[in-house]
Amino acid sequence: MSGSRRARGGRRGGRRGAVALLLLLPAAATLHAQTMMDASASRQLHGESRLDARIDYAAGTLRVAPADAATLYRLQLRYDRDRYLPLARYSAADGRVALGVETTGGPGLRVSSREHLAQEATVALSSRVDLALDITLGATEGELELGGLRLRSLSLRNGASRTSIRFSRPNGARCSRASFSTGAAELEVTGLGNSRCAEVALDGGVGRVTLDFSGDAAGDTRARLDMTLGELVLRVPRGMGLRLTSDRLLASLETAGLTRRGGAFVSPGYERAMHHLDVSLSSTLGGVSVEWIR
Amino acid sequence: MRPSKLVPLAAATLVAALAAFPLSVARADDAGDHADARPAAHAVHDLWVTVQQLAGGDSAAQHPARPAPQAVPAGGPTVNLSDLSHPPDIDAKLHAIARLPAGAVRLTVPNGQARLGDYSIGSEQTSTGDLLVLHGNADVFGTLRGNLVAYDGDVTVHSGGVVTGDVLAIGGLVHDQGEVDGEVRTLSAATPARTAAPPLSAGALVARNAAGVVGVVLTLLALGFGLVLFGRPSLEIVSDTVSHSFARAFVTGLIGQILLLPTFGMLVVGLVLSVAGILLLPFAVAVYALLVVVGVVGGALAVAYAMGETYTRRRLARGAMGSPNGYRYLVVGLAGPVAIWLAWALFGWVPIAGDLIRGAAILVTWLIATAGFGAALLSRAGARESFAGRIIPPEALTDEYLWATPQFGVPAVRRPGKR
Repeated sequence: MSGSRRARGGRRGGRRGAVALLLLLPAAATLHAQTMMDASASRQLHGESRLDARIDYAAGTLRVAPADAATLYRLQLRYDRDRYLPLARYSAADGRVALGVETTGGPGLRVSSREHLAQEATVALSSRVDLALDITLGATEGELELGGLRLRSLSLRNGASRTSIRFSRPNGARCSRASFSTGAAELEVTGLGNSRCAEVALDGGVGRVTLDFSGDAAGDTRARLDMTLGELVLRVPRGMGLRLTSDRLLASLETAGLTRRGGAFVSPGYERAMHHLDVSLSSTLGGVSVEWIR
Repeated sequence: MRPSKLVPLAAATLVAALAAFPLSVARADDAGDHADARPAAHAVHDLWVTVQQLAGGDSAAQHPARPAPQAVPAGGPTVNLSDLSHPPDIDAKLHAIARLPAGAVRLTVPNGQARLGDYSIGSEQTSTGDLLVLHGNADVFGTLRGNLVAYDGDVTVHSGGVVTGDVLAIGGLVHDQGEVDGEVRTLSAATPARTAAPPLSAGALVARNAAGVVGVVLTLLALGFGLVLFGRPSLEIVSDTVSHSFARAFVTGLIGQILLLPTFGMLVVGLVLSVAGILLLPFAVAVYALLVVVGVVGGALAVAYAMGETYTRRRLARGAMGSPNGYRYLVVGLAGPVAIWLAWALFGWVPIAGDLIRGAAILVTWLIATAGFGAALLSRAGARESFAGRIIPPEALTDEYLWATPQFGVPAVRRPGKR
């Protein structure tokens, strides 16, 4: 074989190698795809009377619901092994549990396609223990059914997520406070009357928040609502006495059926109502509306 | 299979199961140290398991390499089972060990034991210390004082059974019908959550794609007619800019695309740094996005307008009948790119050819959008005629022009650019 032919052969081989490399690139990308794992953690109920539960969930879909009678808590998880670790840490001494996922320290979230939000978590919590629930969500889509639990307090911190919270049944305990903090998020809370929380607090960012106060309220409720650059909808049952004071900056307020009395907007028959909702509203560059529901 | 053939098969299975049962029990007796305590229920369970294995319906039967029950000799790596709070770590440690052949496995479990194959704790039995079961199911009828881990197997804490510690199944399930004082955990590779939707038939695919194309075309026509009706002068200036300065418009559009993100970033940073501008940030973002969309879509419609105008005028010059108007220009101009997309809608399901047609359609659409965006930028959205070929520069004014339309009051000898 002459030198020039060898050189041509070498160049051809190089070209073939380059082509093979190009063909292998998609395969390599496929190999780097997520590795999803299924994990679960649960604990039987052994006479516990209270539980402080913390749920940390960075990305994916989250469902929360009451557990069966024999279970204290249960976490079922499908997670990205390369980015996250299952989190289920229980301390029997102080009755605390942390559930969800924690990051492995890898850089960022991979949400460049819909498949990257394939993480799923289902958390079930006992309805037989007094529960303090603290939830922190990232880029998630959450469906939380909290009706029928024995909530003492609820705290939700919402990042860039869409979350729906329902209290379909009355809370089994007296709840002192429900607080919601949202970033660029959409939050809908339905049946706050059933939550029986004495105080509702909202620290809203960009997005839309709907607070529905329907349900079987056990007493009066105070609401301190702070909304920035977003839309806030208050749904109040007819028959509930509503008193609303507002501090607004470049924000609109639709007060359907409310009359101005002093520095506040008050619903007709406020004094005679069985339950009262006193709202202290602060809004900047947003829209607030009050809707009456049956 | 006919029912008549099922009966002998079931009978043969049962006979084989009964024949294999004593062997199975004997094997378990050799391996286990609790055989004396085996209750009748457990024996029935074993019989059922054997029948299931013979019938091929048990998970264990799907693992032909599952070893005979035996104790794992001490030695080799140490796996501490006292803390099961990080299942992935336990999985990582056991993964390499579990791949060894049965005879080569050596393992030390501090304060506990390791087993290969299925393992049971009898109802009268109490086992103390952590327990690891490799490649087998763990059945707890009695009491285990410690943690329990099954690798490549299920854990069943039967009714009446007690585990005082945690339970972990790696690559298996946990059935906790009994009492587990600690945490119950599982870890396994994810099973496919959703099966892929069945592929559409060619007819359904054509209908779906055609409906999509028709929808987009109708939207563009509605937008275009609105532009012709309400913004015709601007549309014509952008259109003329494309016609007279196509290359310049295309290059400008290309650069514009590249600079879209950096410009957006600078806008956001600028507003944030100005503190007061933070309040304007959402509006600025919305306006910026709107301007980009208007620039691209409006520009593309202007390109279609220019194409339609050129084609129509040529046809009219050849004697074709018809009236030259903006609506016609738009419809005719859109027909070209739409034809390619319709071809894709009709033949997109054809292997290779469908992809080629789609590639061509995307390329043509991008070219149009880029040139249109560039023309919109050059003409300041139709406000500037510099590149529309409508202004005759002074140096282009010849004697012929001046003779034809002399400027009143300006002698020809003093016209601009001539001494």
